[in-house]
Amino acid sequence: MKNTILLYVDPGSGSYLVQMIIAGILAAIFYIKSIWWRIKSFFSGRRPPDSSKDDLHD
Amino acid sequence: MTDPINVPSSFQDPSGFVFQHNGIYYRKVNLNYASHYDVLMRSGLYDHLTKKRWLLTHTELSDNSFPSPDLYKILLPRQLSFISYAYEWSFDMMKDAALLTLSIYKTALAYGMTLKDATPFNIQFLDGRPVLIDTLSFEILDEKKPWVAYRQFCETFLFPLYLEYYLRINIKKTLISCINGIPADVTASLLPLRSKLNAGVWLHVHLQNAIKGRHKNSGKEKFSKAKSERLLEHLQSIIEKLKPRNVISSSWSNYYNESVLSTEYLQSKEKILREFLNEFSYRQVLDLGANDGYFSLILTERATEVVAVDLDSQCINNLYALIKNQRLTKLVPLVIDLANPSPAAGFNNSERAAFADRIHPDLVLALALVHHLVISRNIPLPLLAKWLVQFSPMLIIEFVPPEDIKVQQMTENRGNTFDKYNLLNFEEAFSEYFTTIKKMDIAGSLRTLYFMQRITT
Repeated sequence: MKNTILLYVDPGSGSYLVQMIIAGILAAIFYIKSIWWRIKSFFSGRRPPDSSKDDLHD
Repeated sequence: MTDPINVPSSFQDPSGFVFQHNGIYYRKVNLNYASHYDVLMRSGLYDHLTKKRWLLTHTELSDNSFPSPDLYKILLPRQLSFISYAYEWSFDMMKDAALLTLSIYKTALAYGMTLKDATPFNIQFLDGRPVLIDTLSFEILDEKKPWVAYRQFCETFLFPLYLEYYLRINIKKTLISCINGIPADVTASLLPLRSKLNAGVWLHVHLQNAIKGRHKNSGKEKFSKAKSERLLEHLQSIIEKLKPRNVISSSWSNYYNESVLSTEYLQSKEKILREFLNEFSYRQVLDLGANDGYFSLILTERATEVVAVDLDSQCINNLYALIKNQRLTKLVPLVIDLANPSPAAGFNNSERAAFADRIHPDLVLALALVHHLVISRNIPLPLLAKWLVQFSPMLIIEFVPPEDIKVQQMTENRGNTFDKYNLLNFEEAFSEYFTTIKKMDIAGSLRTLYFMQRITT
């Protein structure tokens, strides 16, 4: 019965859960990276790299 | 004055549709899409995107030429002379179309909108670069919701690129039958084991496949714009790193550099071609078997647009690289097998048109092609002539005789199957449909170049 209901779920919402999880993992990686850069820059005295990039299609 | 005809590829979107009237394409915006359309136009997003040439420009019709009860606006978009599909693109064309889609999504987020569709069918190559043609792809952003087109983006852009990258085959042709993209489970089963070591593959393919069908019911955990941006930047970084893997030279990619054909031959052929071309100017030329595009480039001097097609995806990818680097605007390179060109596909077999129905050139160029189709693909000369006549009123065609060294190599182990392949039969087969205007022998070879005109009955 449960599986039958799932067939009527909006196709877009099926990907919501995976996006939530991926965004969570990416946030964790980002957090760890930022700590790592802070430690690195503390010892090397350099600023962390700028992550902003120019648009590719200009 | 005829009635407007709805374009068959445009039935899915409830926001509006494309229709054709007296040869001109229009886009109808329905009343239910009015609020989204107004934000697109008034927020500055439309101006931003069209200034960058990422979105097709349009003007709004002010008169009431096409009245209907749910009508909001009629748009007159910049007219396209030709439509190509993802299954005819090279790797880097697909990659650039994917990156453009993500750049547009990123810009839309900044203006408080999102992309509700992310499919290569909404992208066309215009002036040598990809452009979004579906003006109604935008929707007012609900920051608490993840990207509604994420799965579509994965199945139609990311997974075909991953598969081509890891398997080294032109998987894009699969999109002819899998018109809505390649699903996560198919992608996961086709990708090699080593791909699991890649974090992007693991997250977007295997994780997505593993939790497919599970639905998040609780509304407690909300998404955010920052999360959307992080996800899209991750997709961008993945796709930027994907490179075409067929770096080993393909059988055709060094054709002119390594082939036995002499410089004298190439120079003479170029001279004759220019002489033929000087007779007229052309709107659209179709170069069949374009290889690296050497002659397609010459054609651009006399034509508004040149569609260069070849079976070899690496040749077409190299040509696309040249177009990009030199900012060439008149050339559209496409990967097409002439013995099996893209068929009609989708609902009622009319959603996506067959290749021959999409192109209406006024000149076809078929250089060093006939012997490949006749000998390698067993297509008889009369059938070849009949097939070529449908395309255009003018034809420039090269005949490579059976005594030619290339033909000798091709027929070496094939017995006397190709007895009928000779100059006399070639001229006879083509004279059924064409009149020869000019005919010249190419120096340094046994080959002949013909300038033909379709016989009108």
